Amino acid sequence: MDWTALWLSMRLAGWTVAVLLPVAVLMGRFLAYRSFGGKGLVEALVMLPLVLPPTVFGFYLLVAFGRNSPVGGLWQNLFGHQLVFSFEGLVVASVIFNLPFAIQPAQRGFEAIPAEVREAASCCGMSPLASLWKVELPLAWPGLMTAMVLTFAHTLGEFGIVLMVGGSIPGETRTIAIAIYDRVQAFDGQAAAIMSAVLVAISLFTIALTYWLSARMGRRLS
Amino acid sequence: MQTNRSMPVLLARFAALVLGALPAMAQDDRPVVAAASDLHFAVAEIAEAFSVETSMQVRLIFGSTGNFSRQIREGAPFEMYMAADESFVAGLHAEGLTRDEGDLYALGRVVLVAPNGSSLTPDESLDNLAQMLAEGTITRFAIANPDHAPYGMRAMESLITKGIWDDLQPVMVLGENVSQAAQFALSGNAEGGIIAYSLALAPEASTRGTYALIPEDWHEPLRQRMVLMNGAGEVAEAFYAYMQEPTAREIMERYGFVLPENE
Amino acid sequence: MALEVMARADSPIPLDVAFRVEPGELIALVGHSGSGKTTLLRSIAGLWRPETARVAVNGTTWLDTAARVDLPPHRRRVGIVFQNYALFPHMTAAQNVMAAMDTADYAEAERVLDLVNLHGLAHRKPAHLSGGQQQRVAVARALARKPHALLLDEPFSAVDRATREKLYDEIVALRAHLAMPVVLVTHDMNEAQFLADRMVVIEKGHVVQEDTTARVMADAHALRAMGIREVAAMLPAVIAEHGDDGLTRLDAPTGPLYLPWIDAVPGTGLRVRIMAHEVILSRAFPDGLSAQNIIAGTVTRIVPGAGPGVMIHVDVGGHEILARITRRAAEQMALQPGMTVHAILKSMSIARDHVVRAPDAASTAE
Repeated sequence: MDWTALWLSMRLAGWTVAVLLPVAVLMGRFLAYRSFGGKGLVEALVMLPLVLPPTVFGFYLLVAFGRNSPVGGLWQNLFGHQLVFSFEGLVVASVIFNLPFAIQPAQRGFEAIPAEVREAASCCGMSPLASLWKVELPLAWPGLMTAMVLTFAHTLGEFGIVLMVGGSIPGETRTIAIAIYDRVQAFDGQAAAIMSAVLVAISLFTIALTYWLSARMGRRLS
Repeated sequence: MQTNRSMPVLLARFAALVLGALPAMAQDDRPVVAAASDLHFAVAEIAEAFSVETSMQVRLIFGSTGNFSRQIREGAPFEMYMAADESFVAGLHAEGLTRDEGDLYALGRVVLVAPNGSSLTPDESLDNLAQMLAEGTITRFAIANPDHAPYGMRAMESLITKGIWDDLQPVMVLGENVSQAAQFALSGNAEGGIIAYSLALAPEASTRGTYALIPEDWHEPLRQRMVLMNGAGEVAEAFYAYMQEPTAREIMERYGFVLPENE
Repeated sequence: MALEVMARADSPIPLDVAFRVEPGELIALVGHSGSGKTTLLRSIAGLWRPETARVAVNGTTWLDTAARVDLPPHRRRVGIVFQNYALFPHMTAAQNVMAAMDTADYAEAERVLDLVNLHGLAHRKPAHLSGGQQQRVAVARALARKPHALLLDEPFSAVDRATREKLYDEIVALRAHLAMPVVLVTHDMNEAQFLADRMVVIEKGHVVQEDTTARVMADAHALRAMGIREVAAMLPAVIAEHGDDGLTRLDAPTGPLYLPWIDAVPGTGLRVRIMAHEVILSRAFPDGLSAQNIIAGTVTRIVPGAGPGVMIHVDVGGHEILARITRRAAEQMALQPGMTVHAILKSMSIARDHVVRAPDAASTAE
């Protein structure tokens, strides 16, 4: 059982969720409330990671952030090592790749708030920030919760992108999914089986926990 | 307001749990050694001996030689590279990415393997394989991907020499690297395959099937070369030196490698 | 603390309206759907900005397109009751009310909820409240804002008739506590006639008529925009006694009125809406009729309509009853202003929701 790899996966998923939560709130809300020319294009761009194979994405990320790119060069100068093949690089890749999982459900959550309720909040004297905190977030929480769960679970299972952008460096970029792959290649079926079972258990637990929380939230609203 | 009080608290607790572990994950100083998949068991054993003897540790990654070469060009932070074919080392050296030309550390061999219970019987002339192929009783045959894995290239050359490469195409299964090819070949889902001799000799694999050495002159030699990368540190240097010492060499011989001066 | 509104626009719907509401006054914006009345209300609240507009309350300018002033709704002291109430579903009634307060005060929230007859329901969420109760929470929330203008957007349209009657009574009673200008948007003439001091009739974004309720309701031209069947007169009356036979006797300026039983104690002041098309006229006092209500009066005006009808204005003891009859009948009867006529009204033809409580202390501006 590769605990380092498991912990690495949890940290990667955690960071991805942490970065994407404010993005989901801001972008989800923006797309839910506004109508503008080009909105369809923006929504399609957000959905893009869903339809592109991870390898395509991994390829473009390497081109964009790799050693020979401006971003890669800058990172090297700032931190002394490459952005690719590092944990930070995985976070960047993971955040981009999980955009549709984070933004879409959040957008649905905000869309479900009747426009009149938001208008009522404003007419009650609530500033946009107060309205967000007291009215919109409590009502959009189920959507946001779904977004965070999907992002977390999806990141735990990520393989192709992690392998391409991160390699399989133990303690740095070897997530549990890759560790399982590695154990299979080493004819260590037992280790692979144990780690797979742990991963499934964690994923199920995360999903069940969130549905329970969501149901509680739903009961509070009605 | 009661409704969302527990939400931020829950989130904060979760975040602290996941993110706050950063201090616990100390910066890992151990150098990363990228080694060809055929070295999986041999080098793992050597690294174990290394850490016992010197108390120093390395992190090992195994994969296809060609793939590592590409990753190095993309900036992968490897400190040492152990290729299954010296041309890859030469290529990196030409781009100035390595410290020097490196050293030849072993000569490899390929074997034909068949899992226990397979109808294929490995023999060094590949006659049984050719016969079964003609009879149409080969459903799957695994080798490493010749595009970027040296052991895959040698397998292809051997099959071409035997004259059955074209006929095998429809049932060919390609592994990402020779370890994966070994996985496929010995899993019972294929009649067999051509993999690294060192993998066939490993205890984990040897119990699963039988093998036959393919004649050396059927393919280009597997001249395996290792090199230290620019920026390699003391521990990597120590491990590099260790590879050329008796303990390591004895382990390599046990795994079927021929040592360079013994050619 | 008067509310002044001016709005002009070409799109999305044409609009050209201006009016003024005094503190304590309730003005009704009436018109068909699509006439622009709701858009106008939303402009006052700050939810929409017409091309050219000015909204000012109590000397404070909320909107002035010429001066580029446009306060967002949360900076306007406005209370608005939406058609579908728009209560916050995750908050209790009390929390909904407190949401509109500058400083949340539970005791005050309970007090306002009591004011709208929701005592004991402070802890309930909207999903556990009936339509009428939700309506009252919405009103309470609007009031908790301590608004300088109170806006009601067809607040009774989503509620059944029986509840609506009760709500009319409550609004009338509430008016004694309302010191600010109130704007009510409705398409229901009944409602407007009961609740409003003045009416602004809007058709296709333009003001067709603006006047006191009584005069608007008597104006055929204005009412053509609304539908001629809506013409009615309002008579004040006091409950005198409840009979054993299910009828209640009211004392009106014109004499006794008999209506189906009204649930109120003798002495209660009421207003009765008498539809013009339900009134039959007779020159002589009719004998042997089934109708219980025969009211004597004098003809003041005869206003011809576009079709075969004609509207007869009849003065009864200082108040007015309208009768819509055919022109032929008027000619046959040789009706002239100054003549004595008798207005005949069936007790059964006065619908229950045409009777509403009279405001206690407030005077209907006439």
